[in-house]
Amino acid sequence: MAMTEGQETLEKSSLSSLEKSVEDEELRALLIPDLKDLPSIPRSAVESNFVRYYAVDFIKPAHDQYIYRHANGLCVIGLAPSHAALNDVGGVQSVDFNVGKSNRSDLKVTGKRKRNAQHLQPESALCNVCANGTYYTARCCVKGSLLEVNDRLIMNPELLNLAADREGYIAIIMPKPTDWLKVKDSFLSYEDYKKLRHQVSGSSASNVKAMKLKEAKPTNSCFGI
Amino acid sequence: MAGQMADDARSIFSRAALSLPPPHVSLDLLSSGVCVRCIFRLFGVHGDFYSCPFLTGPGLHYFLKLQNGCQAGISENGHSSFGLHQCSTSEESDVDQKYCSICLGILQFPHDLYLGEGTSEDNFSIDVFVEKIAESIKIANYHIDGFFLEVSIPPVIVANERSIWSYMKKKYDSEAWFKNKSLYNQISLKDALRLSITESLEKKLGVKSGANSFHICLAYTNSEASLILQNSLRKVQSSNRRRTEKENVVKVVDQCGNGQVDSREQLCSKSDAAILKELSSLDDHTFFDLFELPPKKASNSCKLMITCYRMPMFIGGRYLKFSRKVSQTLWIIDDERMGEASVEEIVGTRALEICRGDSYKFHAAGREDIDVMVRNLEVVGSEAWNLMRVGEAEKQKQYAALVWISRPLIDEDLQSISSVNNMEISQSTPIRVLHRRSPLERKRIIHWMKIEKIVGSSQFFMLHLCTQAGTYIKEFVHGDLGRTFPSIGSLLACRAEILQLDVTDVKMDFKLVKLRFRPYACRACYEGIPSCSADVASYLFLFVFILYYLCPKELKLSIIKLKLHLG
Repeated sequence: MAMTEGQETLEKSSLSSLEKSVEDEELRALLIPDLKDLPSIPRSAVESNFVRYYAVDFIKPAHDQYIYRHANGLCVIGLAPSHAALNDVGGVQSVDFNVGKSNRSDLKVTGKRKRNAQHLQPESALCNVCANGTYYTARCCVKGSLLEVNDRLIMNPELLNLAADREGYIAIIMPKPTDWLKVKDSFLSYEDYKKLRHQVSGSSASNVKAMKLKEAKPTNSCFGI
Repeated sequence: MAGQMADDARSIFSRAALSLPPPHVSLDLLSSGVCVRCIFRLFGVHGDFYSCPFLTGPGLHYFLKLQNGCQAGISENGHSSFGLHQCSTSEESDVDQKYCSICLGILQFPHDLYLGEGTSEDNFSIDVFVEKIAESIKIANYHIDGFFLEVSIPPVIVANERSIWSYMKKKYDSEAWFKNKSLYNQISLKDALRLSITESLEKKLGVKSGANSFHICLAYTNSEASLILQNSLRKVQSSNRRRTEKENVVKVVDQCGNGQVDSREQLCSKSDAAILKELSSLDDHTFFDLFELPPKKASNSCKLMITCYRMPMFIGGRYLKFSRKVSQTLWIIDDERMGEASVEEIVGTRALEICRGDSYKFHAAGREDIDVMVRNLEVVGSEAWNLMRVGEAEKQKQYAALVWISRPLIDEDLQSISSVNNMEISQSTPIRVLHRRSPLERKRIIHWMKIEKIVGSSQFFMLHLCTQAGTYIKEFVHGDLGRTFPSIGSLLACRAEILQLDVTDVKMDFKLVKLRFRPYACRACYEGIPSCSADVASYLFLFVFILYYLCPKELKLSIIKLKLHLG
C-alpha cells in the first residue's frame, strides 16, 4: 500500500514538472516569433494605424497637406512631402502658431469632453510656416475641434524637414463623424496622391498647378474613391 | 375548537391590554376606523401578538366592552363575538370602514390586496398572505437558505400616523394615561408587518429570516391616497411661493414662469423621500389645515407587489488569454463588432447562465489591447473592490515586445538600453485613445529594459521591459509622433516599430482564490467560495468580475492545478 502511494506521488511530481517544462516551451513558442513570418520592413505605426488622405493645392497651388485619419475618428494634419514649404530652398526655418486673431498654441484643451477646444473650419489657419523668407499658411482641411498643435515645432522647426509625416505633424483635429463623411471624398487617397505627385516630381509648383487643373479638375468628384 | 380560539383571543387581548390606553380610548380609535394591529403598535405593544389571526376589530370591541363593564351581549354567543365569524360581525359595522384608516389595510391582510387577483374565501388572511409570497418565490424557482423582508409603504401612512396622534393629543391631553405617550414610542408599520408574518413565513419556507442576500420585497402602493396627499402638499407649496413672491415684489413675468413650473410638477410625481421630507417640514398648524383629524376612513386598500431579488454577488478572478483575437471587453466601433470574442463575454455569459443572473458587470484591474496576449496570470479573486483600486497605481507590469528598428542593431544599443534604471518618461495621451481620454501629459517610470537578440536578424529584437502600471508600451516604442518622450526610437536615434506585445508578468499581491476559470477554454467551475457552496453559487443575480494578476511562481502552480482540475 505504502509503496503504491509513494509511486503515485512520484508519478504526480514528475508529471507536473514535465507539464511545467512543456508549458514553458509552449509559452516561449508563443512569445518568440518565427523569422520566416516577419516582413523585412514592417508597416510603420503611421501606416497601420491611420488611413492617409491628401488635400492637394489646398486654397493655394502646391499647398499640399496630409490628413491621417485614425480609426477612432481623430485626424492628424501635416504638410505633405510635395508641399511648397518643404521644397523651398533651405527648407523650413520657423513655425508660428500666431495666426491673426488667436495663437493656436495658447488654448489648452482639458477633460474627456475636450473643453476649450476651438472649432475650426477647413479654411482656418493652423500656423504659418516660414521657408526662404516666404510664409506658407497650413490649414485645418477638416471642420472640427482643435485638440492639440505640435508646439515642439516652435522650438524645433527642423522636425518638418526631417519627418513632416511623423514628428513634424502640425495638429490633431476631432471632426464630427457627419462632417468627416461630407469632406472625405474631396481628398486624395495615398495611392492617388502618389500617382499624381510622382508624375510631376521635379516640376515646379506652378507646373503642378497647371497639370492638376488640366487633368484633375473635371474628375474632382472621383478623388479618393 | 371555537371555544379554544376564543380563549386564545381573550388571553391575547388581556395581555395586550396592559400596554393599551383605557378602554374608552381604544373604542374611540376603533370607531374611527383604526385596525387592531395599528392600535397595538401605536401604543408600542410588543411581542408575538401581531401574528395572531384573531385580531379583528369586532373581537377587540367585544373584549373592551367586557372590560368596560358593559355586560351586554355576553353568554352563549360570546364566542362568536370574538370575531371568529368575521363576516357576520363586519356586516354590522360600516361598509366603508372596511380598511384601517391608518395602514390602509396593510396590517389587515384583506383578500383584494394582491394585484390582479379576485377575492378568495379564506378566513385566515395571514396564511393566505404567506402563501402568496411562497408562491412567487416558487414561480421564480429560487433556491434559498434564508431571506430578508423588505417593506416599502406609501408616504401617506406617515401622515395618517401624525394625524391620529394629533387627534389623540387634542382630545386626551389632559388625561393621565396620555402623559408619557408619544409618536416615537410606537412600533413602525414595517416592523409590525414583519412581526405579523415572519414566523409563519419562516415555517412555510423552511428557512430563517435575517441578513441574507435574498430579499423579498413587499411594495405597497395606494395611488389614490398618494395623489390626494401630493395635491394637498402642492397647495401648501404654492401658497408659500406666493407669499415669498409678494415679499420680494417679483415681476409678472416671473410669476408666469412659476405657473409653468407648477404645471410641470403636476405631471411628474415626486419620490417618496421627497414627500416625506415635505411632510416633516410642515408645522402643526398647516398640517391641521391640510389633513383631517382623525384620518379619513379608507375605502381603498393598498395594492401589493411582491418581488424577489438577490443582492449582487462579486466574483473575482484572473484570466489567461492565449489569443490575439479575443479582446478584454466587448469592442464595438460604429455598430460593428471588432474581434471574434471578448473575455468579458466568454466569462460573463457562461457565468450568467450558471448563476441564472439578470446581468453582469465586468470590471478589470488593468487593460490590454486585443492583440496583446496575457499570460502567466492566475485565476484568483476577492470581493475587495477597493483593494484593487489601491493596487492599480503601485502595480508594475512586465512586457515582452517584438521591435523593429530602421537600422541594424549595434552592441552600444544593448548597453544603452540595459543601462536604463527607473527612467522617467513623459507621455501625452496617445492619439489612439485621445478621443475618449483627457488630453494630459503623464509621467511614467520605466524600471528596467533588456534587449534579447533574435538569431538571424539585425533589425528585429525582443525588448523585455518592466514599467509602472499605466505606461502605454506601444507608444513608448514608436514614440507616437514624438508625443511620448523619450521613446525607444528617440533613445536609439532611429525609427522604431512594435510588431507584437505580450504581458509577461504583473506584480500585485492578491491571493484569494474563489473562482477558477479558463476563459479561452470556456469552462468554469467553482471552488472554495467561502460560505457559499457551488449549489448556492448557482443562483446569483448580478455578476461582477474583478480581475487580479499574480506573480509567476504561484501562477504556474495554479495553472497546473487548474489543468488537473479541469482534466
